[in-house]
Amino acid sequence: MHLPDGFLDAKTAVVTAAVAAVGLGAALRQLRRELPPRRVPLLGLGAAFVFAAQMVNFPVASGTSGHLVGGALVAALLGLPAAVVVVSTVVIAQCFLFADGGVTALGANIFNMAMVAPVTGLLVYRAVQRIIPGLRGQIAALAFAGWCSAVVAAVVCAGQLAWSGTVAWSVAFPAMAAIHMLIGLGEGAISALVFYAVARTRPDIVGSTPAGGLRGIVGYGLLAALGVALFVAPFACAWPDGLEAVAAKLGFARQGASSTAAWLADYKLPGIASGGLATAVAGAAGALIAFVLALLLSRLLVRAPVEVGAKTEADS
Amino acid sequence: MRPLLEITNLDYDYPDGTRALREVSFAVAPGECVGLLGPNGSGKSTLLLHLNGILPEKAVSPGAVRINGEIISARNLEAVRRQVGLLFQDPDDQLFGSTVEEDVAFGPSQLGLASDAVTERVRRALARVGLANHARRPPHHLSQGEKRRACLAGVLACEPALLALDEPTSGLDPRGRREFKTLLQELAGTKLIATHDLELVVELCPRSIVLDGGRIVADGPTTELLNNEALMLAHGLERPHILRHLHPHRSVADEPQPDAGEKLPGLS
Amino acid sequence: MSRPALASERTPAGLKLGLALVLAVGTALAPTAWWWWHSAVAALLLASVFIYRIRIRPLLAKLLWFSPFVAGAALASALQGPASPGWRAVAQRGGLCLLIMLVLGATTSFSAQLAVLRRMRVPALLVTTLALMYRYLQVLSDEAQRMHRARACRTFVPSRGRTWMVSGEIVGRLFIRASERAERIYLAMAARGWR
Repeated sequence: MHLPDGFLDAKTAVVTAAVAAVGLGAALRQLRRELPPRRVPLLGLGAAFVFAAQMVNFPVASGTSGHLVGGALVAALLGLPAAVVVVSTVVIAQCFLFADGGVTALGANIFNMAMVAPVTGLLVYRAVQRIIPGLRGQIAALAFAGWCSAVVAAVVCAGQLAWSGTVAWSVAFPAMAAIHMLIGLGEGAISALVFYAVARTRPDIVGSTPAGGLRGIVGYGLLAALGVALFVAPFACAWPDGLEAVAAKLGFARQGASSTAAWLADYKLPGIASGGLATAVAGAAGALIAFVLALLLSRLLVRAPVEVGAKTEADS
Repeated sequence: MRPLLEITNLDYDYPDGTRALREVSFAVAPGECVGLLGPNGSGKSTLLLHLNGILPEKAVSPGAVRINGEIISARNLEAVRRQVGLLFQDPDDQLFGSTVEEDVAFGPSQLGLASDAVTERVRRALARVGLANHARRPPHHLSQGEKRRACLAGVLACEPALLALDEPTSGLDPRGRREFKTLLQELAGTKLIATHDLELVVELCPRSIVLDGGRIVADGPTTELLNNEALMLAHGLERPHILRHLHPHRSVADEPQPDAGEKLPGLS
Repeated sequence: MSRPALASERTPAGLKLGLALVLAVGTALAPTAWWWWHSAVAALLLASVFIYRIRIRPLLAKLLWFSPFVAGAALASALQGPASPGWRAVAQRGGLCLLIMLVLGATTSFSAQLAVLRRMRVPALLVTTLALMYRYLQVLSDEAQRMHRARACRTFVPSRGRTWMVSGEIVGRLFIRASERAERIYLAMAARGWR
């Protein structure tokens, strides 16, 4: 999801940079006030950890493999402001050290990966954790949070591409959403497995996560929402006829279905008239599947809730 | 002479309640070089962390540790840290700067010195440990021995009165170990060396303290302690080979030749 | 190990960083019609590759890595028809900017870049975090690799589910080690007078 240079126009680059700077500045200020000196080195080590973790491969199929992206996991382990700073550091270093992601896209990349992803992740994590208690709940919550963070960040990214006029919303949105609904499954599963491993050996680390309170999350939540409103909302109302327009332009409409267009069209459930509704239903179905898989994973990992979860359960 | 370091009845428990130190009392006179021996987990590292007030965390120490006659407290913590230089066990933990130079400058700049003074101290410290040509290198490009010497430079740049070294020779190859030992031998000043390297203690420290289970079980002339086979075995240590070839009442530190250890090759 | 200063080390880091940022932003945002700007940047890059004697192979490898994005842009603009700015413009801009950052990386060490940031009063907490990340990147990835090898030595019947569990465990252990090391680094910093 690292946008390179040349994919965003001036207005999008400036706006994303401004929003990212505000968010990062707020997180740094909050940490400077609240973070005990003892935990300051953990920010740098956390960022190095994300880098090193991305080198560990998770095989998917026939030679391809995935790896952790980390927004939701870091937010769950270190708390939200720390996650914003840690993942921003990673994104900045990827840009300047490895030329992964462009300079003009730095603001967008920071916003998507270091703000939208952890904020979404943590909100979902806290919400699900409230419903399901214990370590099993934490695992399921994080697996689902990982999925949600990947999908929401991808949708915001698609919005930025569309806003720049690089890729039309009707193309960018379904493609990015569909791909990240798959990638998100991996992200969720990896986050949950890692969290489980940490919880088993060092329950104190998992238990001692600075909660930051709901008030702290709300500020960042508003910022992320602002971004979503900026980049996604303008298209959300116009998109039902977007695909048809593309299809008509390319001449697919008369021929019926052709490879890519057919795949994109299939993304909407057949039999539902309105395009907007179809997209909503498809999204909800994807979320439901991801949630059920998250639950299954948590059941698989934590067989008896009492065995390992006893201490954590008492904490939460 | 007033002792540089004086510890009286020091007790400490880890936050989780495990006993770490019990009734530890000893004193170190200026210029002395003392070995601190004991099996893993005997409390050596924990003891060293007390010397410059890192432990106990809440700095409400019962006044058990005195540096130059002053009890360590929250108020004089800075002054104390100026006097005690701590060399940690893993050089990677201690070398956190992006370049050697920057890392060595960390301590002096925390002291609030002017930038010329800092540069001068960095230059002197690096020359002292033989790394003058490595100033600009990033720490991860150094060999293990060079890393250790860079750490020492970082400590020396603060110009401490007491050097407290935690396992200074662990993880070094024979040459690195020999170089570091020579370096320590040449350094004037008071030293407290926690180590498993018994031959190092024999060569550097006329006096040793044995710690086990958080208590001091022996304190005396190194050769005498190390020759006491029963004592050594009881506390997870062993009598070093080098001592089998020495007169029991002379320490190697008194021997005319500095490299006694290497002149006795292949013995068992 | 004293060596003569390279040509790239004689140019001040601040100048290189500033120039790279200006060039990259300019290139990414310049209209496609400004062909003279793009040619000037390309010429400057070529010149610096020769002056600073940068190795060509890594640059090319990285450009190759960039190609999926270009392919994606090409596909997207094919779907959109003539209204879009076109994949050629995207490829041209993106490729040039990528080269600018690669040349910057090859001529300016990351710690020199950090020193520039520090001078420019970027928040200290962010610079410290960047510096510590850079310092321990290698240490942690070595640890990850060692753990991976140790596990591989004892893996006899590889299965995908098992591998995922094991990889998850490795990453989890990596986090624990990172936080323990952070604790020890804090002690080392405190020992040298840091508050």
